[in-house]
Amino acid sequence: MITYTDHRKKSLRQRLRSRKGQQAIIIFAFMFIPLLLLFLFTYFPFAEMFKFSFYKMKYTGTRTYVGLDNYKEVFENKQIFSSLKLCLYYMAGSIVQLVIALYLATMLSFKTKGGNIFKGFMFFPFLINGIAIGFIFKFFYTRGFVFDTVLQWCGFNLENLPFWLRTQGLNNVSLVGTSVWRYFGQNMVLFIGAIMSVDAEMYEAAELDGANKFQQFMHIILPSIKTIVTLNIILSITGSLSAFEPPYVITNGGNGTATYFVVMNRIAHTNQKVGLASAMAIVLLMIIFTATILQKLFFKFAFRNANAEDEVVTSKKRRRNKVSKKQKEAV
Amino acid sequence: MRLKKFVAIGTAVVLSLSCVACSKKAENKKDNTKEATTETTETDKATDDTAEAATDDAAAEQELSYANIVLGESYTDITTTIKVYNHRTDMNTEDYPGTTWSEYVAEFNKMYPNITVEVETDTTYADNALLRLQSGDWGDIMGIPAVDKADLSTYFIPYGDVETVSKQARFINNWVYDNQVYGIPSTGNAQGIVYNKAVFEKAGITTIPKTPEEFLAALQAIKDKTDAIPLYTNYAAGWTMGAWDAYLGGSATGESTYMNQTLLHAKDPFSDKGDNTHAYAVYKILYDAVAGGLTEEDFSTTDWEGCKGMINNGEIGCMVLGSWAYPQMQAAGEHADDIGYMSFPITVNGKQYASAGPDYCYGINANSSDDNKKAAMVFVKWMTDKSGFSYNESGIPINAEDNNYPEVYSAFEGIEFIADDPAVAGEEDYLNLLNTDSDLMINAGGNTKVQQIIENAANKGMTFDEIMAEWNEAWASAQESNSIEVNQ
Repeated sequence: MITYTDHRKKSLRQRLRSRKGQQAIIIFAFMFIPLLLLFLFTYFPFAEMFKFSFYKMKYTGTRTYVGLDNYKEVFENKQIFSSLKLCLYYMAGSIVQLVIALYLATMLSFKTKGGNIFKGFMFFPFLINGIAIGFIFKFFYTRGFVFDTVLQWCGFNLENLPFWLRTQGLNNVSLVGTSVWRYFGQNMVLFIGAIMSVDAEMYEAAELDGANKFQQFMHIILPSIKTIVTLNIILSITGSLSAFEPPYVITNGGNGTATYFVVMNRIAHTNQKVGLASAMAIVLLMIIFTATILQKLFFKFAFRNANAEDEVVTSKKRRRNKVSKKQKEAV
Repeated sequence: MRLKKFVAIGTAVVLSLSCVACSKKAENKKDNTKEATTETTETDKATDDTAEAATDDAAAEQELSYANIVLGESYTDITTTIKVYNHRTDMNTEDYPGTTWSEYVAEFNKMYPNITVEVETDTTYADNALLRLQSGDWGDIMGIPAVDKADLSTYFIPYGDVETVSKQARFINNWVYDNQVYGIPSTGNAQGIVYNKAVFEKAGITTIPKTPEEFLAALQAIKDKTDAIPLYTNYAAGWTMGAWDAYLGGSATGESTYMNQTLLHAKDPFSDKGDNTHAYAVYKILYDAVAGGLTEEDFSTTDWEGCKGMINNGEIGCMVLGSWAYPQMQAAGEHADDIGYMSFPITVNGKQYASAGPDYCYGINANSSDDNKKAAMVFVKWMTDKSGFSYNESGIPINAEDNNYPEVYSAFEGIEFIADDPAVAGEEDYLNLLNTDSDLMINAGGNTKVQQIIENAANKGMTFDEIMAEWNEAWASAQESNSIEVNQ
């Protein structure tokens, strides 16, 4: 039995033995390692990189402090600026990807024949390594190879087909295609998971009220999974800002496909301008921050009506939880 | 409840202990190495003492230099393990058609059985080598990557001064600082064009083209008369594009001082000189070939490994690659005899030249133990003098007394090899500075700029003169920002 009488007189040993002290020890012991790892491998390198961004430096050799010159160059360099424009392709791609994923997720969450097989097939690309996907699509898009052959089966004439990786503009669409192919399955699975949690009674009620499937989707499913939709959109937009694997592996950033990351990689490793590349990374971080905040604000605005409906659902759930708790207690 | 608590504390303790154990281990290791180094210094001292008493012979042995090493006699008593880090991944696989690394090492061990050699290779060597160099953890011998000349002595030990080493080895000028040589070439290459003789014959080309016009006419003839791709660009591989830079020096100008001296101070080095020479002529061949449809139809999906078989089978007319490519193209199929090599089609004042220079050069780690430094230098000398590496890889021999040139160099009869002279003292790092600031990266991985030529030619973007003007501008602004004097 512990008696809480005189707190001041407790020795360190006693304090450590007390319930509070034990809690503190456990908390500290458990937090220390993950925090240490987090600091060592995330915040410390980041701080170093932030420092590098103010220097003109290579990996080897002397470093000179140049102040904000690197940041100035990020905005003045034509190559870097044009690479940012490519993000638009990837953002458009991520919207397409989310629409496809949401559509298929809705389809598959109702009763579908062979639903699980479809889910498996569509999720599969996500399991393949990104570099391997790059190599697959390199041959997929090569003139007269897989894609052209398939299109020829469909009656297209090879003469009329474009060069998928050579024509500027179209090559970015081709690259975005690979990224959509890879990630839509993963988004779909996340959506299915969220849709599963929607109360089936609500569909029944809606059907009784005469709502069709599309109305059910708009008014029941979408508001119920809006958190996961928002999350996926934010992740896809940030992902499209930092697209790297498809252009790096398939085209090596050539022919107008060099995204921000590919340019950054080239500047850091080939041109050895480590300071400039670090500044680019910091600028990208700022862009991602801004994009995320803007999206948050946008969704707050877009879902302001849905909130009311959502509350109904949660309060209903809460009530049911209470009931089940009471039942448990009774048992 | 108690059990839970126990388990929780237990795991916490185990986790933190494992962390402590790790750091302890690291400390132990440190101590060990410290001990080891003190030991070696002690033994060194001991040998020092005996050496002092001994003859000049031993004193000569003390000073480690390339020229003093006599293979089979020097340092035979050393027992150690050295690590070699380099770019020849193909040589580290058993199905390599030539001599593999393990075969070279086995041969070396016949002469030096006590020196164990471990070879590590890397596919993205140029980039990774720089990172590894910075970390210090790379072994004892490496192919020197693009470091600043001023930093050479921090990473590598000198082989001796230029005069002494140049009596024994060729192409040592690439890594010279303060008159000291820091890199011995693994092999030497001449720059030319690898072509398929059968395709050229079928197209009715009887004499080897000597000027850009003749060369483009030959490509046109191949296009008209055969099914082969006249010139395969290898755009997608990237580094094969940067390889075009190798022709800027000797091949395009005939001056050994161009690359490391003239270019640094040149005003508008990329503009048209009017006589089909210099950088302008080199890159214009590429631009005109692409614009005229004389290259593969889809440059974006070229395949480096595949092209070897294609040129061997006569599906490709020619490719612009150094002489090192010749044996690889021969080995890629059944028509080894069809593969030929010719010099780059530029004639300067009626005479043809060919840039010749070193491949990667071996540098020896300045932070290795003394024994390892000695063993490493012995290995480097053995590789250049005794291994036959250069000959096997169709390279120009590095040993200065070895005049046994491989077959491929018969194509260079009447053509003068030009090896680049080193930069003037004090200007060793100018080329690096200019390369970085102009983003052109000449002879240092500047693949993008050459790819740009193909893109613009194929997509009817910028004209060739516009591209060259842009490069001139970048070069000029880099010269200005580094306050390098420009000769008018």
